[in-house]
Amino acid sequence: MIIVRIDNVQSFVLEFEGWLEGLGVRRRRPDQVGAGDFSVAVFDDQTPEEERAAVDRGRDWERTKYDAGWGAVDWPERFGGRGLPPAFSAALRAAEQDWDLPRRNELFAVTQHMVAPTVREWGTDEQIEHFVRGLLRTDIMACQLFSEPEAGSDLAAVRTRAVRDGRDWVLSGQKVWSSMATCAQYGEAICRSDPDAPKHAGLTAFMVPLDRRGVTIRPIRQMTGGACFNEIFLDEVRVPDTLRIGPEGGGWQVAQTTLSAERSDSGGLGTGTVDKLLALARHRGVSSPALVDEIVQLWIHDRVLVLNNQRTVAETQAGQTAGAQGSLGKLAATTNMRRTSDVITLLLADELIADTGEWGTFAWTEQVLGAPGYRIAGGSDEIQRTIIAERVLRMPRG
Amino acid sequence: MADLVESAEQAELRATLRRLFGGPSACLARPEPESGGCYDAKFWGVLAEEIGLCGLAIPERYGGSGYSRADRAAALHEMGRCLLPSPFLASAVLAVETLLATGDEDVLTDVLPGLSAGTTLATVAYRETPGGDRRPVHAARDGAGWLLTGSRSFVLDGCQADFVLVPAETESGISLFAVDAVSAPGLSRCPMRTLDPSRPQARLDFSATPGRLAGDPGAGAIAARTGVAHAAIALAAEQVGGAERCLEAAVEYAGMRRQFGKPIGSFQAIKHKCADLLILVESARSAARYAASVSSSPAAGEDLFATAAFAGAYCSTAYLTVAAENIQIHGGIGFTWEHHAHLYFRRAKASEVMFGTPLEHRAFLARHLGLSASPPPEP
Repeated sequence: MIIVRIDNVQSFVLEFEGWLEGLGVRRRRPDQVGAGDFSVAVFDDQTPEEERAAVDRGRDWERTKYDAGWGAVDWPERFGGRGLPPAFSAALRAAEQDWDLPRRNELFAVTQHMVAPTVREWGTDEQIEHFVRGLLRTDIMACQLFSEPEAGSDLAAVRTRAVRDGRDWVLSGQKVWSSMATCAQYGEAICRSDPDAPKHAGLTAFMVPLDRRGVTIRPIRQMTGGACFNEIFLDEVRVPDTLRIGPEGGGWQVAQTTLSAERSDSGGLGTGTVDKLLALARHRGVSSPALVDEIVQLWIHDRVLVLNNQRTVAETQAGQTAGAQGSLGKLAATTNMRRTSDVITLLLADELIADTGEWGTFAWTEQVLGAPGYRIAGGSDEIQRTIIAERVLRMPRG
Repeated sequence: MADLVESAEQAELRATLRRLFGGPSACLARPEPESGGCYDAKFWGVLAEEIGLCGLAIPERYGGSGYSRADRAAALHEMGRCLLPSPFLASAVLAVETLLATGDEDVLTDVLPGLSAGTTLATVAYRETPGGDRRPVHAARDGAGWLLTGSRSFVLDGCQADFVLVPAETESGISLFAVDAVSAPGLSRCPMRTLDPSRPQARLDFSATPGRLAGDPGAGAIAARTGVAHAAIALAAEQVGGAERCLEAAVEYAGMRRQFGKPIGSFQAIKHKCADLLILVESARSAARYAASVSSSPAAGEDLFATAAFAGAYCSTAYLTVAAENIQIHGGIGFTWEHHAHLYFRRAKASEVMFGTPLEHRAFLARHLGLSASPPPEP
């Protein structure tokens, strides 16, 4: 049961799938246990070469799609889109899961769903002209340069300095946790331009070209074993004022646009993983009624999450303000990722902690080891709760 | 296609009911749990006659107004917010849906207009009396009619209903009978003490009590099961209304109550708790709206039961959690008799069990998902 469809979106998806078939793309066989690639990784653990190759494959595909009018369908025509409601692009992304297409890693979400809308909202006409189509078509890949060693949850505490020098700015400091920065051409950086202004008012945003002299990118190996995060050192990097995004001192507002796009884009995290767990459980049979109940509870939570996301899309499409569930997406998603880890541990037991070579078993360690990262990345669970309490429930600030 | 978006008509219906029920913070349950809980007949008359509440989801040919079950769910949401004590759930949902499931035109034409107008009240007696008093109900032919003997308990509004639908064992399997609860001989009705004062229950003992066959012989179990599934879905909407109100009350109080020189709502322990509760409320809203939409579709088929189990399991647990945390956030005042918090807790607790416990719902889903081989349980 329980797939919700929106009628005209459905025919739109059918048209899209017809186009995919015409290109010779093959449909993935769903929930097939025992054969084919198997991944439930939360983060992509790849060598730098594999990562670059994966990004290149993804970009080729995004360009094909964009040029055929299937890319940014929820963007206006002047950006190569079709001016459709967000439900349509969400439906296409969901449909793509069923086809043998390059996996979209996080850098694509950051480029197309976070940085592109930020430039569109805050950029000058020239900046919009220069960046937006390129970001949507992935000709330009962009990462975030937000966090710093001393500015994690307290983002407004960033210290990376931006000093005006004639028509340029000179940026110096250290950024950290930038996903896939090695594959990006630009970074959206939040810097301190006025150390004397109040904390939130002294920030300015820039699109920093990552090939400039003074930029050093160093991968950080994370607990999964992979290294998709990076630290970025900015050593007197010269950036023209034409790459400043939004007003001087408006960096906090610019960052909020990016982050709220991230919160609403994160609701779908980890969905599809529970279906894989269910397929495994069915395939093996589960004799313990207590474990069966744990699996059913997980399934219920997963369905509820999907329904929340669909409701958000449907409400926006109906011209209503999306309900509070729209801001809850990331927290609800990470909570479910943790639940998934808990249940797969009970289901696989020994086979999770030692590799028997059996298909689709030890690979779950990537989910179990990756899940803790998403409770921190993009605003920790605790920060999400504070944001929900203060902005949605309007509770008093501490 | 499931509709997860509230329509303008549903929003309007809710706004009308909220005004009628006394505003956003109204609580209409009587704070006298020992009183046995009876309804305000005059107010019920207003709801039934002026608003036409009971006939909302009843087809027009039976005297209803032919709106959808999703519209009815919007009304239940508001009733849940204010804990309206009313025979609506038993009569306008459980009994009406059980009757509709029989497809018995004669019976439907006879009784639905009264139920639709709210001038007669009905309920379904489908739960066995437990323990040593257990006497499953049998029906035996008596000339052209039937006589019922046995015992049922936990009958929602059992003492208030004008007639009772009873699934009873016959030679051709379980069949459904309508029993005149006001004047039938051999029927004794005894109110049970209930945890939730706003939702009375009764034990009914039948001793050669005449009943009228409703639907085909042997089709009583599926009719009752269908009625209970619709009731669980309706209850989910009511649970969301109650949970929503509990969270509002908790947030309001946390903004007002000062300790350590600050509103307690400025402390992260309270904020984070409320954020988690909001996830529960909004998720339950999505689940309940989905379920109401599925139940509105004539093509729901077997999905109706899985959907009822899904919404029942999630919304029951969510409501209970929010109602319990509402007491916690209110602190000592929330534990007092005078405060409304316990009334919501009582309603949440009673609702958690009423049309299947969360564990029972999940056991059904386990079979539905192919995780467990044993046959589905009967309600």
